[in-house]
Amino acid sequence: MACARHVNAIQELVDGTLGSIRRAELELHLEQCEPCRRLADDLARIRDSAASLEPLTPPDRVWLQIAGRLRQEGRIAAPTPLAAARRTFMPLALAASLLLIVGASLYVLYPRGTAPDEAASAGNAPAADAVQGVETEFRLAEQHLQNAINKLQEAAKADDAAIDTQIASTLQKNLEVIDQAIAESRSALRQEPQSVPARDSLFDALKRKVSLLQDTIALMNQMRKGDAAGAAQIVDSANKS
Amino acid sequence: MTAPFPRAGAAPAGRAAELALVERCRQGDAGAFEEVYRTHAGRLYSVACRMVGNPADAEDLLQEIFLSAHRKLDSFRGESALGTWLYRLAMNLCLDYLRSKASRTSHLTDALDDEPGLADASSRGLANRALTRIDMERAVAQLPEGCRAAFLLHDVEGLEHREVAEALGIAEGTSKSQVHKARLRLRALLTE
Repeated sequence: MACARHVNAIQELVDGTLGSIRRAELELHLEQCEPCRRLADDLARIRDSAASLEPLTPPDRVWLQIAGRLRQEGRIAAPTPLAAARRTFMPLALAASLLLIVGASLYVLYPRGTAPDEAASAGNAPAADAVQGVETEFRLAEQHLQNAINKLQEAAKADDAAIDTQIASTLQKNLEVIDQAIAESRSALRQEPQSVPARDSLFDALKRKVSLLQDTIALMNQMRKGDAAGAAQIVDSANKS
Repeated sequence: MTAPFPRAGAAPAGRAAELALVERCRQGDAGAFEEVYRTHAGRLYSVACRMVGNPADAEDLLQEIFLSAHRKLDSFRGESALGTWLYRLAMNLCLDYLRSKASRTSHLTDALDDEPGLADASSRGLANRALTRIDMERAVAQLPEGCRAAFLLHDVEGLEHREVAEALGIAEGTSKSQVHKARLRLRALLTE
Protein backbone atom coordinates (compact mmCIF):
# COMPACT_ATOMS: atom_id res chain seq x y z
CA MET A 1 0.00 0.00 0.00
CA ALA A 2 1.25 3.44 -0.95
CA CYS A 3 2.24 5.74 1.90
CA ALA A 4 -0.74 8.00 2.70
CA ARG A 5 1.50 10.95 3.52
CA HIS A 6 3.08 10.89 0.04
CA VAL A 7 -0.11 10.55 -2.01
CA ASN A 8 -0.71 14.29 -2.45
CA ALA A 9 2.88 14.85 -3.50
CA ILE A 10 2.60 11.99 -6.00
CA GLN A 11 -0.54 13.58 -7.46
CA GLU A 12 1.22 16.92 -7.76
CA LEU A 13 4.17 15.19 -9.39
CA VAL A 14 1.75 13.76 -11.96
CA ASP A 15 0.17 17.22 -12.39
CA GLY A 16 3.63 18.70 -12.92
CA THR A 17 3.08 21.24 -10.16
CA LEU A 18 5.43 19.83 -7.49
CA GLY A 19 8.20 22.25 -6.45
CA SER A 20 11.80 21.24 -7.03
CA ILE A 21 12.71 20.58 -3.38
CA ARG A 22 9.64 18.47 -2.65
CA ARG A 23 10.15 16.74 -5.96
CA ALA A 24 13.70 15.76 -5.06
CA GLU A 25 12.50 14.43 -1.69
CA LEU A 26 9.71 12.47 -3.31
CA GLU A 27 11.99 10.99 -5.96
CA LEU A 28 14.29 9.80 -3.21
CA HIS A 29 11.32 8.15 -1.51
CA LEU A 30 10.10 6.60 -4.76
CA GLU A 31 13.45 4.92 -5.27
CA GLN A 32 12.96 3.09 -2.00
CA CYS A 33 9.19 2.51 -1.90
CA GLU A 34 7.77 0.19 -4.54
CA PRO A 35 4.03 0.75 -3.75
CA CYS A 36 4.47 4.53 -4.04
CA ARG A 37 6.49 4.13 -7.23
CA ARG A 38 3.74 1.90 -8.65
CA LEU A 39 1.11 4.44 -7.67
CA ALA A 40 3.03 7.25 -9.39
CA ASP A 41 3.43 5.16 -12.54
CA ASP A 42 -0.25 4.20 -12.60
CA LEU A 43 -1.50 7.75 -12.09
CA ALA A 44 0.79 9.02 -14.85
CA ARG A 45 -0.56 6.33 -17.17
CA ILE A 46 -4.12 7.30 -16.33
CA ARG A 47 -3.32 10.97 -16.96
CA ASP A 48 -1.69 10.16 -20.33
CA SER A 49 -4.47 7.83 -21.35
CA ALA A 50 -7.11 10.46 -20.48
CA ALA A 51 -5.27 13.13 -22.47
CA SER A 52 -5.23 10.86 -25.51
CA LEU A 53 -9.00 10.32 -25.57
CA GLU A 54 -10.17 11.72 -28.87
CA PRO A 55 -12.63 14.59 -29.09
CA LEU A 56 -16.10 13.51 -30.18
CA THR A 57 -17.85 15.24 -33.05
CA PRO A 58 -21.49 16.30 -32.80
CA PRO A 59 -23.70 15.54 -35.81
CA ASP A 60 -24.25 18.47 -38.21
CA ARG A 61 -27.98 18.46 -37.52
CA VAL A 62 -27.41 19.88 -34.04
CA TRP A 63 -26.40 23.29 -35.42
CA LEU A 64 -29.36 23.32 -37.81
CA GLN A 65 -31.71 22.59 -34.89
CA ILE A 66 -30.12 25.33 -32.77
CA ALA A 67 -30.30 27.86 -35.61
CA GLY A 68 -33.93 26.89 -36.26
CA ARG A 69 -34.88 27.39 -32.60
CA LEU A 70 -33.08 30.74 -32.42
CA ARG A 71 -34.84 31.91 -35.59
CA GLN A 72 -38.20 30.83 -34.18
CA GLU A 73 -37.47 32.81 -31.04
CA GLY A 74 -36.45 35.79 -33.17
CA ARG A 75 -32.98 35.82 -31.61
CA ILE A 76 -31.10 35.62 -34.87
CA ALA A 77 -32.06 37.17 -38.16
CA ALA A 78 -34.67 35.13 -39.96
CA PRO A 79 -34.43 34.88 -43.71
CA THR A 80 -36.78 37.25 -45.58
CA PRO A 81 -40.10 35.65 -46.63
CA LEU A 82 -38.95 35.73 -50.26
CA ALA A 83 -35.64 34.07 -49.44
CA ALA A 84 -37.42 31.53 -47.24
CA ALA A 85 -39.84 30.71 -50.02
CA ARG A 86 -37.00 30.39 -52.49
CA ARG A 87 -35.07 28.23 -50.00
CA THR A 88 -38.05 25.90 -49.67
CA PHE A 89 -39.38 25.73 -53.16
CA MET A 90 -36.70 26.74 -55.59
CA PRO A 91 -34.64 23.53 -55.63
CA LEU A 92 -37.79 21.47 -56.12
CA ALA A 93 -39.10 23.83 -58.78
CA LEU A 94 -35.75 23.81 -60.52
CA ALA A 95 -35.60 20.04 -60.32
CA ALA A 96 -39.02 19.82 -61.92
CA SER A 97 -38.24 22.36 -64.63
CA LEU A 98 -34.89 20.71 -65.35
CA LEU A 99 -36.56 17.35 -65.77
CA LEU A 100 -38.95 18.93 -68.26
CA ILE A 101 -36.13 20.68 -70.09
CA VAL A 102 -33.98 17.57 -70.18
CA GLY A 103 -36.87 15.37 -71.22
CA ALA A 104 -37.85 17.79 -73.95
CA SER A 105 -34.25 18.18 -75.12
CA LEU A 106 -33.73 14.45 -75.41
CA TYR A 107 -37.09 14.04 -77.11
CA VAL A 108 -36.27 16.77 -79.59
CA LEU A 109 -32.67 15.79 -80.17
CA TYR A 110 -32.81 12.05 -80.26
CA PRO A 111 -35.38 11.48 -83.04
CA ARG A 112 -33.91 14.30 -85.13
CA GLY A 113 -30.45 13.04 -84.37
CA THR A 114 -31.33 10.03 -86.45
CA ALA A 115 -32.73 12.22 -89.19
CA PRO A 116 -29.50 12.65 -91.16
CA ASP A 117 -29.25 8.88 -91.62
CA GLU A 118 -32.86 8.62 -92.66
CA ALA A 119 -32.66 11.71 -94.84
CA ALA A 120 -29.55 10.49 -96.58
CA SER A 121 -30.97 7.08 -97.24
CA ALA A 122 -34.32 8.45 -98.41
CA GLY A 123 -32.75 11.28 -100.34
CA ASN A 124 -35.72 13.55 -99.44
CA ALA A 125 -33.97 16.39 -97.59
CA PRO A 126 -30.43 17.65 -97.54
CA ALA A 127 -28.45 16.33 -94.54
CA ALA A 128 -27.24 19.85 -93.80
CA ASP A 129 -30.83 21.01 -93.17
CA ALA A 130 -31.39 18.18 -90.72
CA VAL A 131 -28.16 18.99 -88.92
CA GLN A 132 -29.17 22.65 -88.85
CA GLY A 133 -32.46 21.62 -87.25
CA VAL A 134 -30.65 19.58 -84.65
CA GLU A 135 -28.29 22.47 -84.01
CA THR A 136 -31.13 24.93 -83.53
CA GLU A 137 -32.96 22.64 -81.14
CA PHE A 138 -29.74 21.88 -79.37
CA ARG A 139 -28.97 25.58 -78.92
CA LEU A 140 -32.44 26.17 -77.54
CA ALA A 141 -32.07 23.24 -75.15
CA GLU A 142 -28.64 24.50 -74.19
CA GLN A 143 -30.04 27.96 -73.53
CA HIS A 144 -32.72 26.45 -71.29
CA LEU A 145 -30.10 24.43 -69.45
CA GLN A 146 -27.90 27.49 -69.02
CA ASN A 147 -30.86 29.46 -67.66
CA ALA A 148 -31.53 26.65 -65.21
CA ILE A 149 -27.86 26.67 -64.17
CA ASN A 150 -28.02 30.43 -63.66
CA LYS A 151 -31.10 30.03 -61.48
CA LEU A 152 -29.42 27.25 -59.50
CA GLN A 153 -26.40 29.45 -58.87
CA GLU A 154 -28.68 32.32 -57.89
CA ALA A 155 -30.52 30.01 -55.48
CA ALA A 156 -27.19 28.84 -54.05
CA LYS A 157 -26.20 32.45 -53.37
CA ALA A 158 -29.55 33.18 -51.69
CA ASP A 159 -29.31 30.07 -49.50
CA ASP A 160 -26.66 30.37 -46.80
CA ALA A 161 -26.75 26.61 -46.21
CA ALA A 162 -26.19 25.74 -49.85
CA ILE A 163 -23.16 25.10 -52.01
CA ASP A 164 -19.99 26.82 -50.90
CA THR A 165 -17.64 28.63 -53.26
CA GLN A 166 -15.10 25.83 -53.51
CA ILE A 167 -17.69 23.20 -54.40
CA ALA A 168 -19.37 25.60 -56.84
CA SER A 169 -15.99 26.10 -58.46
CA THR A 170 -15.50 22.32 -58.80
CA LEU A 171 -18.93 21.95 -60.35
CA GLN A 172 -18.18 24.85 -62.70
CA LYS A 173 -14.92 23.22 -63.81
CA ASN A 174 -16.71 19.94 -64.51
CA LEU A 175 -19.33 21.85 -66.42
CA GLU A 176 -16.66 23.52 -68.55
CA VAL A 177 -15.12 20.14 -69.41
CA ILE A 178 -18.51 18.85 -70.47
CA ASP A 179 -19.24 22.02 -72.44
CA GLN A 180 -15.94 21.53 -74.24
CA ALA A 181 -16.95 17.96 -75.13
CA ILE A 182 -20.32 19.22 -76.37
CA ALA A 183 -18.64 21.89 -78.51
CA GLU A 184 -16.26 19.35 -80.04
CA SER A 185 -19.10 16.93 -80.74
CA ARG A 186 -21.15 19.67 -82.36
CA SER A 187 -18.21 20.66 -84.51
CA ALA A 188 -17.61 17.05 -85.56
CA LEU A 189 -21.28 16.58 -86.34
CA ARG A 190 -21.29 19.74 -88.45
CA GLN A 191 -18.40 18.40 -90.53
CA GLU A 192 -19.81 14.90 -90.77
CA PRO A 193 -23.57 15.06 -90.28
CA GLN A 194 -23.92 11.30 -90.67
CA SER A 195 -21.20 10.36 -88.24
CA VAL A 196 -22.62 7.98 -85.65
CA PRO A 197 -19.64 8.41 -83.25
CA ALA A 198 -20.07 12.23 -83.35
CA ARG A 199 -23.78 11.93 -82.67
CA ASP A 200 -23.21 9.43 -79.84
CA SER A 201 -20.55 11.68 -78.41
CA LEU A 202 -22.95 14.64 -78.45
CA PHE A 203 -25.63 12.69 -76.62
CA ASP A 204 -23.11 11.28 -74.18
CA ALA A 205 -21.86 14.79 -73.34
CA LEU A 206 -25.41 16.03 -73.03
CA LYS A 207 -26.29 13.19 -70.64
CA ARG A 208 -23.23 14.03 -68.56
CA LYS A 209 -24.37 17.62 -68.34
CA VAL A 210 -27.81 16.45 -67.25
CA SER A 211 -26.21 14.22 -64.63
CA LEU A 212 -24.09 17.10 -63.33
CA LEU A 213 -27.15 19.33 -63.04
CA GLN A 214 -28.99 16.61 -61.16
CA ASP A 215 -25.98 16.28 -58.84
CA THR A 216 -26.06 20.01 -58.28
CA ILE A 217 -29.71 19.91 -57.26
CA ALA A 218 -29.16 16.87 -55.04
CA LEU A 219 -26.17 18.61 -53.46
CA MET A 220 -28.24 21.68 -52.67
CA ASN A 221 -30.89 19.51 -51.07
CA GLN A 222 -28.29 17.63 -48.98
CA MET A 223 -26.71 20.89 -47.85
CA ARG A 224 -30.10 22.28 -46.91
CA LYS A 225 -30.80 19.14 -44.87
CA GLY A 226 -27.40 19.46 -43.22
CA ASP A 227 -26.33 16.05 -44.52
CA ALA A 228 -22.60 16.70 -44.91
CA ALA A 229 -21.83 13.03 -45.63
CA GLY A 230 -24.40 12.89 -48.42
CA ALA A 231 -23.12 16.16 -49.85
CA ALA A 232 -19.51 14.93 -49.73
CA GLN A 233 -20.53 11.77 -51.59
CA ILE A 234 -22.17 13.83 -54.34
CA VAL A 235 -19.14 16.12 -54.66
CA ASP A 236 -16.86 13.08 -54.79
CA SER A 237 -19.00 11.56 -57.50
CA ALA A 238 -19.07 14.88 -59.42
CA ASN A 239 -15.28 15.06 -59.20
CA LYS A 240 -14.96 11.59 -60.65
CA SER A 241 -17.41 12.23 -63.50
CA MET B 1 -9.77 12.59 -36.57
CA THR B 2 -11.12 16.07 -36.03
CA ALA B 3 -8.93 19.14 -35.99
CA PRO B 4 -7.58 20.12 -32.57
CA PHE B 5 -9.85 22.46 -30.68
CA PRO B 6 -8.64 25.74 -29.28
CA ARG B 7 -8.02 25.83 -25.57
CA ALA B 8 -10.75 27.26 -23.38
CA GLY B 9 -8.63 30.06 -22.01
CA ALA B 10 -8.04 32.92 -24.44
CA ALA B 11 -5.03 35.24 -24.36
CA PRO B 12 -5.85 38.90 -23.62
CA ALA B 13 -5.37 39.78 -27.32
CA GLY B 14 -7.93 37.12 -28.18
CA ARG B 15 -10.36 38.43 -25.58
CA ALA B 16 -11.06 41.58 -27.57
CA ALA B 17 -11.84 39.49 -30.62
CA GLU B 18 -14.09 37.27 -28.50
CA LEU B 19 -15.95 40.27 -27.13
CA ALA B 20 -16.43 41.62 -30.65
CA LEU B 21 -17.73 38.23 -31.77
CA VAL B 22 -20.12 38.06 -28.80
CA GLU B 23 -21.34 41.58 -29.60
CA ARG B 24 -22.17 40.46 -33.14
CA CYS B 25 -24.05 37.49 -31.67
CA ARG B 26 -26.01 39.86 -29.42
CA GLN B 27 -27.01 41.84 -32.52
CA GLY B 28 -28.57 38.68 -33.94
CA ASP B 29 -25.78 37.83 -36.39
CA ALA B 30 -26.35 34.13 -37.17
CA GLY B 31 -22.92 33.81 -38.81
CA ALA B 32 -21.18 35.04 -35.67
CA PHE B 33 -23.05 32.60 -33.46
CA GLU B 34 -22.31 29.77 -35.88
CA GLU B 35 -18.62 30.68 -35.54
CA VAL B 36 -18.93 30.37 -31.77
CA TYR B 37 -20.66 27.04 -32.23
CA ARG B 38 -18.06 25.68 -34.68
CA THR B 39 -15.23 26.70 -32.36
CA HIS B 40 -16.56 25.22 -29.13
CA ALA B 41 -19.19 22.58 -29.99
CA GLY B 42 -16.72 19.71 -30.31
CA ARG B 43 -15.22 20.11 -26.85
CA LEU B 44 -18.58 20.75 -25.21
CA TYR B 45 -20.12 17.75 -26.94
CA SER B 46 -17.20 15.53 -25.86
CA VAL B 47 -17.62 16.59 -22.24
CA ALA B 48 -21.42 16.27 -22.36
CA CYS B 49 -21.19 12.84 -23.95
CA ARG B 50 -18.77 11.59 -21.31
CA MET B 51 -20.76 13.18 -18.51
CA VAL B 52 -24.17 11.77 -19.44
CA GLY B 53 -22.95 8.57 -21.04
CA ASN B 54 -24.88 8.54 -24.30
CA PRO B 55 -24.72 10.54 -27.56
CA ALA B 56 -28.46 11.15 -27.92
CA ASP B 57 -28.73 12.90 -24.54
CA ALA B 58 -25.46 14.73 -25.26
CA GLU B 59 -26.95 16.09 -28.52
CA ASP B 60 -29.98 17.40 -26.62
CA LEU B 61 -27.69 18.94 -24.03
CA LEU B 62 -25.49 20.53 -26.68
CA GLN B 63 -28.58 22.20 -28.10
CA GLU B 64 -29.58 23.41 -24.67
CA ILE B 65 -26.07 24.67 -23.96
CA PHE B 66 -26.01 26.87 -27.05
CA LEU B 67 -29.62 28.02 -26.74
CA SER B 68 -28.95 28.93 -23.14
CA ALA B 69 -25.67 30.62 -24.12
CA HIS B 70 -27.45 32.80 -26.66
CA ARG B 71 -30.11 33.80 -24.14
CA LYS B 72 -27.42 34.66 -21.58
CA LEU B 73 -25.05 36.53 -23.88
CA ASP B 74 -25.80 39.77 -22.03
CA SER B 75 -24.26 38.28 -18.90
CA PHE B 76 -20.96 37.55 -20.65
CA ARG B 77 -18.61 40.37 -19.68
CA GLY B 78 -15.36 38.86 -20.93
CA GLU B 79 -13.94 38.38 -17.42
CA SER B 80 -13.27 34.78 -18.29
CA ALA B 81 -12.60 33.27 -21.70
CA LEU B 82 -15.69 32.50 -23.75
CA GLY B 83 -14.68 28.82 -23.71
CA THR B 84 -14.58 28.74 -19.91
CA TRP B 85 -17.91 30.56 -19.72
CA LEU B 86 -19.42 28.00 -22.08
CA TYR B 87 -17.92 25.13 -20.07
CA ARG B 88 -19.60 26.51 -16.98
CA LEU B 89 -22.99 26.61 -18.71
CA ALA B 90 -22.37 23.13 -20.08
CA MET B 91 -21.35 21.60 -16.76
CA ASN B 92 -24.31 23.18 -14.96
CA LEU B 93 -26.69 21.75 -17.52
CA CYS B 94 -25.00 18.32 -17.45
CA LEU B 95 -25.05 18.17 -13.65
CA ASP B 96 -28.70 19.34 -13.56
CA TYR B 97 -29.54 16.65 -16.07
CA LEU B 98 -27.75 13.95 -14.06
CA ARG B 99 -29.33 15.07 -10.79
CA SER B 100 -32.76 15.12 -12.32
CA LYS B 101 -32.13 11.65 -13.76
CA ALA B 102 -30.82 10.43 -10.41
CA SER B 103 -33.83 11.81 -8.57
CA ARG B 104 -36.06 9.97 -11.03
CA THR B 105 -34.24 6.69 -10.54
CA SER B 106 -33.18 7.24 -6.91
CA HIS B 107 -29.56 6.48 -7.67
CA LEU B 108 -27.56 9.14 -5.91
CA THR B 109 -23.96 8.26 -6.49
CA ASP B 110 -21.90 11.25 -5.54
CA ALA B 111 -20.32 9.85 -2.38
CA LEU B 112 -16.56 10.12 -2.37
CA ASP B 113 -15.65 9.41 1.20
CA ASP B 114 -13.23 6.60 0.64
CA GLU B 115 -9.77 6.81 -0.84
CA PRO B 116 -9.87 4.15 -3.51
CA GLY B 117 -6.64 3.00 -5.03
CA LEU B 118 -4.50 3.05 -1.92
CA ALA B 119 -5.49 -0.30 -0.41
CA ASP B 120 -3.94 -2.32 -3.19
CA ALA B 121 -0.86 -3.83 -1.56
CA SER B 122 -1.59 -7.20 -3.08
CA SER B 123 -2.35 -5.74 -6.50
CA ARG B 124 0.25 -5.15 -9.16
CA GLY B 125 -1.63 -2.01 -10.19
CA LEU B 126 -1.69 -1.21 -13.88
CA ALA B 127 1.75 -2.59 -14.58
CA ASN B 128 1.83 -5.01 -17.52
CA ARG B 129 -1.78 -4.23 -18.29
CA ALA B 130 -2.89 -2.76 -21.62
CA LEU B 131 -4.99 0.32 -21.08
CA THR B 132 -7.33 0.76 -24.04
CA ARG B 133 -9.50 3.74 -24.90
CA ILE B 134 -12.59 1.62 -24.24
CA ASP B 135 -11.28 0.65 -20.78
CA MET B 136 -10.79 4.32 -20.00
CA GLU B 137 -14.18 5.42 -21.33
CA ARG B 138 -15.93 2.71 -19.32
CA ALA B 139 -14.06 3.51 -16.14
CA VAL B 140 -14.63 7.27 -16.50
CA ALA B 141 -18.36 6.60 -16.91
CA GLN B 142 -18.36 4.92 -13.49
CA LEU B 143 -16.88 7.89 -11.67
CA PRO B 144 -19.14 9.88 -9.35
CA GLU B 145 -20.39 12.91 -11.27
CA GLY B 146 -18.57 15.58 -9.25
CA CYS B 147 -15.10 14.19 -9.70
CA ARG B 148 -15.91 13.01 -13.23
CA ALA B 149 -16.62 16.60 -14.24
CA ALA B 150 -13.33 17.85 -12.79
CA PHE B 151 -11.38 14.94 -14.25
CA LEU B 152 -12.85 15.40 -17.75
CA LEU B 153 -12.06 19.11 -17.76
CA HIS B 154 -8.55 18.75 -16.34
CA ASP B 155 -7.10 15.47 -17.57
CA VAL B 156 -9.10 14.98 -20.77
CA GLU B 157 -9.73 18.55 -21.97
CA GLY B 158 -6.49 19.93 -20.59
CA LEU B 159 -7.85 22.87 -18.57
CA GLU B 160 -5.78 24.27 -15.68
CA HIS B 161 -7.18 23.76 -12.17
CA ARG B 162 -7.96 27.51 -12.09
CA GLU B 163 -10.09 27.13 -15.23
CA VAL B 164 -11.73 23.94 -13.95
CA ALA B 165 -12.60 25.77 -10.72
CA GLU B 166 -14.11 28.63 -12.73
CA ALA B 167 -16.06 26.29 -14.99
CA LEU B 168 -17.46 24.27 -12.09
CA GLY B 169 -17.93 27.15 -9.68
CA ILE B 170 -15.68 25.56 -7.06
CA ALA B 171 -12.43 26.48 -5.33
CA GLU B 172 -9.16 25.65 -7.06
CA GLY B 173 -8.21 23.35 -4.18
CA THR B 174 -11.48 21.49 -4.59
CA SER B 175 -10.73 21.02 -8.27
CA LYS B 176 -7.36 19.47 -7.38
CA SER B 177 -8.82 17.15 -4.77
CA GLN B 178 -11.64 16.06 -7.14
CA VAL B 179 -9.22 15.29 -9.95
CA HIS B 180 -6.90 13.41 -7.58
CA LYS B 181 -9.77 11.38 -6.18
CA ALA B 182 -10.95 10.61 -9.70
CA ARG B 183 -7.52 9.27 -10.65
CA LEU B 184 -7.38 7.06 -7.56
CA ARG B 185 -10.89 5.81 -8.22
CA LEU B 186 -9.99 5.10 -11.85
CA ARG B 187 -6.94 3.19 -10.76
CA ALA B 188 -9.10 1.02 -8.53
CA LEU B 189 -11.65 0.50 -11.33
CA LEU B 190 -9.00 -0.34 -13.90
CA THR B 191 -7.20 -2.86 -11.71
CA GLU B 192 -10.38 -4.69 -10.64
